[in-house]
Formats: sequence, structure tokens, C-alpha cells
Amino acid sequence: MADWSYIPQVLVSGLGIGCVYGLIGIGFCVIYNASGIVNFAQGAFVMLGGMITHMLFARNGVPLPLAAVIAIAAVALLGVAIERVVVRPLWNRKATMFVMILATLAAQIVIERLTLIAVGDQPKTLPVFTDRPPLMIGGVAIGFQLIWIVGGSIAIVGLLAAFFSLTKTGKAMRACSINREAAALQGIPVSRMLALAFALSAALGAFAGILITPTQYTAFNVGVPFAISGFIAAIVGGFGRPFGAFLGGLLLGLLQALAIVGFGAGLKNVAALSVLLLFLFIRPSGILGAAK
Amino acid sequence: MTISPAITSPERRPLRLAGLLPWLFAVLVVGYAMVVGGYAATVVSFALIYAVFVTGLNLFMGFAAQVSFGQNAFAAIGGYLSAVLTATYGWSPLPAMALGIAAAVLTAAIVGYPALRLKGHYLAMGTLAIGLITYEITVEWQSVTQGYMGISGIPPFGIGPYEITSDRGQLVLLSLVVAASLFAAARIRRSRFGRALSAVAGSEEAAVALGIDVARYKLAAFLLSAGFAALAGSLFVHVVGFVSPEVFGLHMVIVTFTMLYVGGIGTVVGPLVGALIVSLLPETFRAFKDYQDLAYGAALILLLIYAPRGLASLFSPRGRS
Amino acid sequence: MSRLRLEGVTRRFGGLVAVDNVSFEVPAEGVTAIIGPNGAGKTTLFNLIAGALPPSAGRILFEGADITGRPPAGIAAAGLVRTFQLVKLFEDLSVLDNVKVGCHLQGKAGLFGALLRFASAREEEAAVDVRARELLAFAGLSAFADEPAFGLPYGRQRMLELARAMAAGPRLILLDEPAAGLNTEESAALARVIRRIAEEGTSVLLIEHDMTLVMNTADRVVVVDFGRKIAEGTPTEVRANPAVIAAYLGTGKSATGAAVTASDHQETARG
Repeated sequence: MADWSYIPQVLVSGLGIGCVYGLIGIGFCVIYNASGIVNFAQGAFVMLGGMITHMLFARNGVPLPLAAVIAIAAVALLGVAIERVVVRPLWNRKATMFVMILATLAAQIVIERLTLIAVGDQPKTLPVFTDRPPLMIGGVAIGFQLIWIVGGSIAIVGLLAAFFSLTKTGKAMRACSINREAAALQGIPVSRMLALAFALSAALGAFAGILITPTQYTAFNVGVPFAISGFIAAIVGGFGRPFGAFLGGLLLGLLQALAIVGFGAGLKNVAALSVLLLFLFIRPSGILGAAK
Repeated sequence: MTISPAITSPERRPLRLAGLLPWLFAVLVVGYAMVVGGYAATVVSFALIYAVFVTGLNLFMGFAAQVSFGQNAFAAIGGYLSAVLTATYGWSPLPAMALGIAAAVLTAAIVGYPALRLKGHYLAMGTLAIGLITYEITVEWQSVTQGYMGISGIPPFGIGPYEITSDRGQLVLLSLVVAASLFAAARIRRSRFGRALSAVAGSEEAAVALGIDVARYKLAAFLLSAGFAALAGSLFVHVVGFVSPEVFGLHMVIVTFTMLYVGGIGTVVGPLVGALIVSLLPETFRAFKDYQDLAYGAALILLLIYAPRGLASLFSPRGRS
Repeated sequence: MSRLRLEGVTRRFGGLVAVDNVSFEVPAEGVTAIIGPNGAGKTTLFNLIAGALPPSAGRILFEGADITGRPPAGIAAAGLVRTFQLVKLFEDLSVLDNVKVGCHLQGKAGLFGALLRFASAREEEAAVDVRARELLAFAGLSAFADEPAFGLPYGRQRMLELARAMAAGPRLILLDEPAAGLNTEESAALARVIRRIAEEGTSVLLIEHDMTLVMNTADRVVVVDFGRKIAEGTPTEVRANPAVIAAYLGTGKSATGAAVTASDHQETARG
């Protein structure tokens, strides 16, 4: 049943989705490094990125680029809101890691359900950014959206690298990830860094969601699978290493694409989750070794 | 409903009465449903099924202080095996349920052995993945599970030709199962086995130093918890007569955690009280189904922030902090 | 035969040798103390004996049997039980139940015993109750039996930890700085309890900074510094040993010399 002549084509599309997983994985790492928290509401940012852009563009006629920027800003604000309303009170009370996970998972559900109530359960999509026939390279069709996804992701990863190594704020965030107490003693406002990490992570998720929506669709319940894939990417890359997470995302995307050829599209999530379990059980520190 | 004196533990006298209040509440609610019957009986029946599941969850998370976001997987295994064996292969419910529980416990042993060595968010994500994989399989393995369509025509419990089909009959049956579950939890709590679980919860290092095989007790609690989950899953399909993947999805994880926290994690009666309150509240508001998960999620966040040891902790001298 | 015997036990952390070729014996009778300046490797030595860390080299024999590399729970089951420098109680359990957990190794009842309460399980539970209450009386905690453990004052928490360890029926008990954080009075009471434990046949091996306690309780003293054993003997012999005096005076780690009582002790209490 499996037709292996499609492999190159499949790998190309795996690369695209892999970039998206990678961006989400980086989002996990940014918050984890700033706080030691694993934010299980990460998927909500991805879903809302596509969803808000769709609402602005399709319903209100806002031009696509502007809609995307507004959506990213709105989701970043939501990230800060979650940090203030859910995470901060628990953080102040020194809640256990488990309670924090449960609370962010609950926040994910709340956002999902609010979205369902607001826009219904029908899948929504966006037009591709450049509407032209795909480029044919050696028998492999490369759609323009794929170029947008890969290009956009690499650009963002580059910007992020520059942010962390060149700007004062970026350096301060890195200092927090190495040693929070020492960073506080150096006068770095650790608590503001936490809010910033949520904003940054949410914006990354939203960006990923906007990139991927034209090739798939978005609906109120797409968040959790995306979050899981992003988390797997982060684990595979060695948790807490943003660029490892991007690499992990690419690997996962390719692997999942192969799994679709091998076992059919229905089992792609099972394949991804199995990769997760395999890594957790055999090499929890990821291919590069965990940070710290 | 039996009220075992063993349950009100060695706390001080004045607390004994306060300790009886949750039991009184539970007996009143179930009694009311029994008298009124009909829709009230159905709602309370669901609550009792959840109470069985949450009792298992509580053994693992409350007594032994471990983490699993994937116990719904074992409910699905129990529920689907019961459904398929009875509806498709014509087994009678009891042996199907027994096999479902056995299969769930066996699965828990296979995945629990590597999974319980994980710590922190790795354990959380690993168990969540186990739940999601099971969900995906129930959706995709259509030749057996019929996917989203679900399986209908699952027979109710019964012995020989006598089937328990009335609302009240089911309520009686479920009350007995819940009573037995809580009785088991109470006995476990006050035993060498239960103390070993509490020791694991309190300090693994100290438990080990007293000769307690921590890994073994964690696994034992995990298996027990899986057994209760499978029992609940099987009860559900036979009471409702229908099963679909959504029944054991992420929704179940959130709802059951809410119940555990509302009732008070780590107490014997907490799971029952939590299951009743969380099941009844949306009914009294008659909210649309869409609003239910929203309410659960929001309530859970509020509880975690303001009453981390459950509503019951507001009455007890000390939450675990 | 000695109760515990260390043969050339060594533990390295990377390039650092925390315990360097240490050999000594703990006799079946009496109290043996390990002393040494801060950072001398005493706690590492304890972790090696209790199985919390595997040694890099050497052998550890308990009652003649090689226990090197056994898991800590197995070592406890063999009859060698430890306490911790920072008290680790089961805070949510009552004082009595803490001691009952200590009785774990004395029992056999499992899940089915718990659920079905066979006659054997009931008898076992009754015996555990009697034994736990005896130990509480021994530690002077009977009045607190039903209190939650977290509510006890610090001194009594230490006593409870001791009672809990004794409940495991050890033939050798390891006490990691049992007097840390205790006042003079509590420390004296502790010394009496330790002597009684030894008199009733359990050998005691303790690490201690509080020299008063060591001099009042120990029959033998082993002195370590920089991971090496530098002296051993009776408290009087050790006090007169030039190498010991040098270790305490010369390193500057502990400025008050052999009378390392007050200041050092305060430090550990806070640490």
C-alpha cells in the first residue's frame, strides 16, 4: 500500500511542519529557561495565532500581513495575561511542578472552550501567502507556502539568536536561565523576565500557527496536538536548548512524514507520541543532552 | 453506604463529627437520586462511575503523591474491551469487565515500569502521551472500535436473564461498587501497604532508608489506579450502552482532576464528594455542554490557586501546603 | 566479629577524592563516632555505608557479608538503618504512624492483607501498634502519638526520627549529626537515649560536630580529615593525638580547635 516513490515529496512537506514544531518547541524552552515551568498551554497560542488572523482577515477584511501582526501582538498579550493570572499566583505560593502543569493545562482547556464558543467548531483556514503554482525541482513540487514556512522560521530563529546574544534584555534572560538567584542579585528583574518569556513564547507560537494554517486548517482543538509535537521537539533536542528544539522539530516533522507514508495519516500522532515515549524511556536528555 | 469507623482516622474527637459531614452529604445526594429516579438518577450514576475512577487516581496521586495525566488510557482499555467483547462477540458483561481490568493492569505494568522512573515534567508528558496514544488508537482502529461512530448496543449488567436496566437498579449497583471502592481505599490507608505509600509520598529518601522498595510501591499504586480506571470505564459502557473515543479523551483528564481537587486529594471520601459536586453543579446551572469544560478548567485553576488541598481542606486544620 | 568493617573504601567525584582509602571497624558493642572538620568527607562516608552512593573502590562488610553496592533498601533490610542530617519525617502522618512506617521491615502484609485483613495481617498490625507505642515511650513522645509529625518542635522531631529508625529493628544504626540544632538540654537527653540504644544491643555509629555529645557517648572515635582516616581510639586517646589537634587547629577550617563545640555546631544547625 505504501508508495515509496513519494518519499522526497513527503520529506519536503515534513520539513515544513517540522519547522513549525521547532518554533513551538523553542517556545517551551524560552519559558522553561526563564522559570523552570513547562507551560502546557503552549498549544493555545498556536491555535489562536491562526484563528485570530483568520477572523481579522476573513471576517473583517483586514489585510493579511496586518492581521498577522495584530494576531501575534494579541497572543503575546494573552501570554502575559496567563503569566499574571494563572502562573504568577502559583509561583508566589511555590506550587509544585505538577500543580503548575495542571493549571496551565486547565488554562489551555479554558482558552479552547472560549474559542469554541466564540467561533464554533468549524475548521478555518487562511489563503496561502503567495498564490502561485509550486516550483518543480527534480520532480519534487515545492509550494510557496513551504518556502514561507521554512524561510520565516529560519528568519525567526536567526532573530532570536541575535536577540539572546546581542541585546541587553536577551542577555538578561539567558542569565536568568543559567542561575535565577545570581541574576536577581545582579539586578535583573527576574519577575519581569518571566512575563517577557511568556510574551515571547506566545508570539512564537502564534507565528508558527499563522505559517501553518494555510496548508492545514485551524480549529479550536488543534492546540494540544501541536503543543505535544512542540514538546517532543524540545525533548528530542534536549530540553531547555532552544536551537536543539528547532532541530528536534525538523527531525520529528520528517519522521512523522515518513510514518504517514508507512502507516497512513491517521496514525501520525501515534507515531509522534511513540517517538516521545521512546526518547523519554531511553534517552530523556535528548540527542544533544539536556541543558544544565 | 457503609460508614466505616476506620475512616475517620486517629484525628482528635472534635474533628470526628466534621469528618462525617462529607459522608452525610454523599448519602443524602445518592438517597435523593434513588427516591426521585429518572434524570437525577442518571446524573448521580455518572458521578458514581467517576467516583470509582477518581478513587483510583487518588491512590496514585493522593496517597503516593505521584503524577499521571494518562489514567484515561486505562479507562478506555477497560471500557472498549467490555464494549467489544459484549456487543461484537456476545460475551456477558462480567467476564468482559474482568478481562478489561486485567488487560488494563497488564498494560499499566508494561508502560509503568519504564514510565515511573521518569521524574517531573517528563513523567507528566510521558503519561499524557500514553493517554493520547490510546485515544488515537480508539479513533483510528475502526475495524474494532468503529472510530468516532462508537459502539452501541452494549448490554447492561445482569445475572443470567435478569438485567439491571432501571435507573434505580443501576444506582444501587453503582452505589455498592463505590462503597466497596472507598472501603478498599480506607483499608489501604490504614495498613502497612498504605503507610508505605504515604512514606513514598513524604520522602522517598527516608522511605528507602527504612527498607521500603520505593519503585515497587509506586508501581503497585499505579496498577491499582489503572484497575480502578478500567473498572470505571467498563461500568460506564454497560450503564450507558454506548461508547465513543470522546468518552475517554482529554476531557476526562481535566474533569477527574477537578473532582480530585474539589473533594480533597489524599482523603478517602474526597473522590466521591468531588465527583458528586462536579457532576451536579453544571446540571443545576443547566449550562450548555460547551460551557462545561470551560467551567471545569476555570474552577480547577481557582482551586489550585486558592484551595490546593481541596474544598475539604478549608475545614481541616492543615492542608499539605 | 565486628559489626561493620570498611576495607579501603574510596569515593571520587571527578578529580576530587572525597573519601580516600578508609578502613575501620565498628564493634558490635557500644557507640562509635566519626569526627572531623567540615568537609572532611564524613557525610560521604555515611552515604557510602548506607548505599546511597556506590564506592569507587573498597569493600564494606556488614556482619561479615559484603554489602558493597547493594541498594539502600536492601541494606536497611539487612539490619543497617540510617537517619539524616536534615530530619526527613513523613510530615503528613501522625507521630505514631511515622514509627509504624519504621516497622515496615518487621511485617509482611501486602495489598491483600490490607484489603481482606486476614488473621495474620490483624495480628501483625496489633504487634506493630504495640511496638510503635513502646518506641514512642522510649523516645519520650507518647503524649504526641496522635499529633501530626509536622507540628512537633524540632528537638522532638529528631527524637521521632530516631524512634522511627529503631522501629526498623537495626543491628547497626547510623546517626548523621543527631545533635545538630539541639539545645544543651535536648542534646543531653539525646546522649542518654543513644547510650541506652547501645546498651540494649544495637551498635551505634554516629557523625557529630558536638564534641560534648561525642565525649559523653562514644566508646571509640574515628577521626577523618581530607577524606582520610587520621586517627582512631578512645575519646581520651584521640583528644591527645597530635595529628587530630593539627587537623582541627592547623587547617583553619575550625578555629576553635578540639573544642569545636559551640560555633561549629551553630553553623551546621543553620546549614
